Amino acid sequence: MISLRYFVLMVSLILATSSLSATPPALKIGSKKFTESVILGEVITQHLNNNQVLATHADQLGGTRLLWKALLQGELDIYPDYTGTIIYEILHGEQIGTQAELRAHLENYGIAMTAPLGFNNTYALGITQNTADKYGLKQISDLKQYPDLNFGFTNEFMDREDGWPSLQNYYDLPQVNVRGLDHDLAYKGLEAGSIDLMDLYSTDAEIAYYNLKILEDDQHHFPEYQAVILYRIDLIKQIPNLDSLLGQLSGSISDSEMVQLNSAVKIDHFSEAQVAQKFLKQVFNVESSIKSIGLVGRLLQTTREHLFLVLLSLSAAIIVSIPLGILAANKPKASQIILSTVGVIQTIPSLALLVFMIPLLGIGGPPALVALFLYSLLPIVRNTYSGLTDIPQDIRESAIALGLPASARLRIVELPLATRSILAGIKTSAVINVGTATLGALIGAGGYGQAILTGIRLDDTGLILEGALPAAVLALLVQSGFDLIEKSFLSPGLQLKQESTQ
Amino acid sequence: MIKLDGVSKSFGEVEVIHKLSLEISEHQTAILIGPSGCGKSTLLRLMIGLLKPDQGQISLFQQPLTSDNMEKLRQQVGFVLQDGGLFPHLTAGRNITLMAEYLQREGGWINSRLAELCELTHFSQSLLEHYPIQLSGGQIQRVALMRALMLDPKILFLDEPLGALDPLYRVGLQEDMKSIFTQLKKTVVMVTHDMGEAAALADQIILMRDGQIVQHDRLKNLATNPTEPFVLEFINAQRKPWQHLEDQIK
Repeated sequence: MISLRYFVLMVSLILATSSLSATPPALKIGSKKFTESVILGEVITQHLNNNQVLATHADQLGGTRLLWKALLQGELDIYPDYTGTIIYEILHGEQIGTQAELRAHLENYGIAMTAPLGFNNTYALGITQNTADKYGLKQISDLKQYPDLNFGFTNEFMDREDGWPSLQNYYDLPQVNVRGLDHDLAYKGLEAGSIDLMDLYSTDAEIAYYNLKILEDDQHHFPEYQAVILYRIDLIKQIPNLDSLLGQLSGSISDSEMVQLNSAVKIDHFSEAQVAQKFLKQVFNVESSIKSIGLVGRLLQTTREHLFLVLLSLSAAIIVSIPLGILAANKPKASQIILSTVGVIQTIPSLALLVFMIPLLGIGGPPALVALFLYSLLPIVRNTYSGLTDIPQDIRESAIALGLPASARLRIVELPLATRSILAGIKTSAVINVGTATLGALIGAGGYGQAILTGIRLDDTGLILEGALPAAVLALLVQSGFDLIEKSFLSPGLQLKQESTQ
Repeated sequence: MIKLDGVSKSFGEVEVIHKLSLEISEHQTAILIGPSGCGKSTLLRLMIGLLKPDQGQISLFQQPLTSDNMEKLRQQVGFVLQDGGLFPHLTAGRNITLMAEYLQREGGWINSRLAELCELTHFSQSLLEHYPIQLSGGQIQRVALMRALMLDPKILFLDEPLGALDPLYRVGLQEDMKSIFTQLKKTVVMVTHDMGEAAALADQIILMRDGQIVQHDRLKNLATNPTEPFVLEFINAQRKPWQHLEDQIK
């Protein structure tokens, strides 16, 4: 149980360092993982920095709930959102008609809202010009006559209160071929013809790029999605002019301007930082300084972040799993509980696990570490257990008959014999861990996932590879590293055995 | 030296040993023999505490076996299994000296004891660096025997130590064992199903059937004074193949 104590110590150290780094003077600006949100996050960040308020941008985090929870927790200070989303997604169930009512509701949570930024990015349904011509589709109610059309929606749209369920209900739509997929991939699917219709944001740059037809919301189902900035009210004590600083951005971006900004990133491949910089120059005539990091710098940083996630979570998992496996192997009653518990943990979807942990651990490294730690348990516990229980009866009896006490048997005989199995479990965990750690980017833990996320969002294969290739290389390195460890750690008596049975 | 008093043991519904009492005195080689499933291996495992009796009491050195004194008493007995039960990750030498090292015996003593045992069991010292996988069946049993003898126990328990061996090696090791047992004056309890082996080694034979002792006596008395027909039946059944062989050679 000494190892357990080490684990607790390690976790509390991680928590301690993270809470230190979570209270720096810089404000934390969040953004969701779609381009418009990242641009807005960048605009807010640069605007504050230009006005001597230190701010950093935690960009492209997971969905609305994740950011909202992080904002309530104080893990984030500011992030951009949309009135429709706030009303239907965050405060759903409340009767909110006017912006004043919305503001009052948010105040109950300690959150303030700026006046709208100017553009309305509402949901819309888009189809290709071909499909429009083929079926003569003009407005949403036209869809009723074509029940066989394939719909592809973002998962968020599938679930949210103002999304597909209510739309279907409202217009009485018959379609059943509806699946959830990533927004940026949906454009590809639409172009390839694997889906006929997708949900869009009305300011998406791709609408013009792919020459898509927007179906008119003829019965007015979709509410307004005015972009606003949410921020914690208690910040005003710290930065009295925050209200007016953020207010300067109100009304500054029109619908068409937002489409242009999105287009500059998605079609013309400028970075969000560059686009935000250009925008701020236009509006305020201020040149914001932006850091741009080269490929090598980015790789170094993501590698460092990725290794940190993998090494720390894996070490903690090893320290906990081996004793758990030993316990399971020695206590048949405990084994049921232990093995099924670590098994169940493995089935929790990773994003769900990450969201569960935000109230406890906030965003960034700690929740990612804990999630990776939990996912690493099963292979090691299971292999420790089977490595120990597979030891032949006669060897077990010999060790007992020699008069070795249980602890000495474990140390001198049983663990060395289970080494190969335990190492194999650690190897499996490590390889899975390297892959799963890419999800850490969804909650701001960085790593190779950062490049993959951005790459998918911007449809940039080069960027996806910038994350995917190093992750693959790291997985291979881990694998061969463990093969080396096995060669040097494992008794020649056991290695010879394998040669002779091959 | 070894005493069992009304010992019973069941596995689930099946009673393998039934109210069995037995006494084996010092310096005797007792052979446990009987048909498969008679409970002889179970009885041996009860004596060394690998199994716990459901009823009755087992004493070694006049001390009843309890979970408190078990480990201490085990260090004063040696145990050899059919397949040797050597630890595959340790060299032959380490297998033998493991327990002495655990008990922190002095290095010089360990080395001289190891040399002595190699001589006694006719085992080449050069093989001590080999791992079990690199040894033949006969060599493995010699190592297992040395491991059991390392701390000079008063009692040796052997579970069919020659059972898995080639007949050719078998005779050699059997003779070595006989001389070791008499020379070292050990109390020996050995399980076998081979009457010839029993005849070669035994001072006394414990013939078992269905979890009980049928007769516990010298071999000669078993043949001349059987307590029931089964005794002769068992002895003769084992002699038959040999008779055929002898008849044909003649």
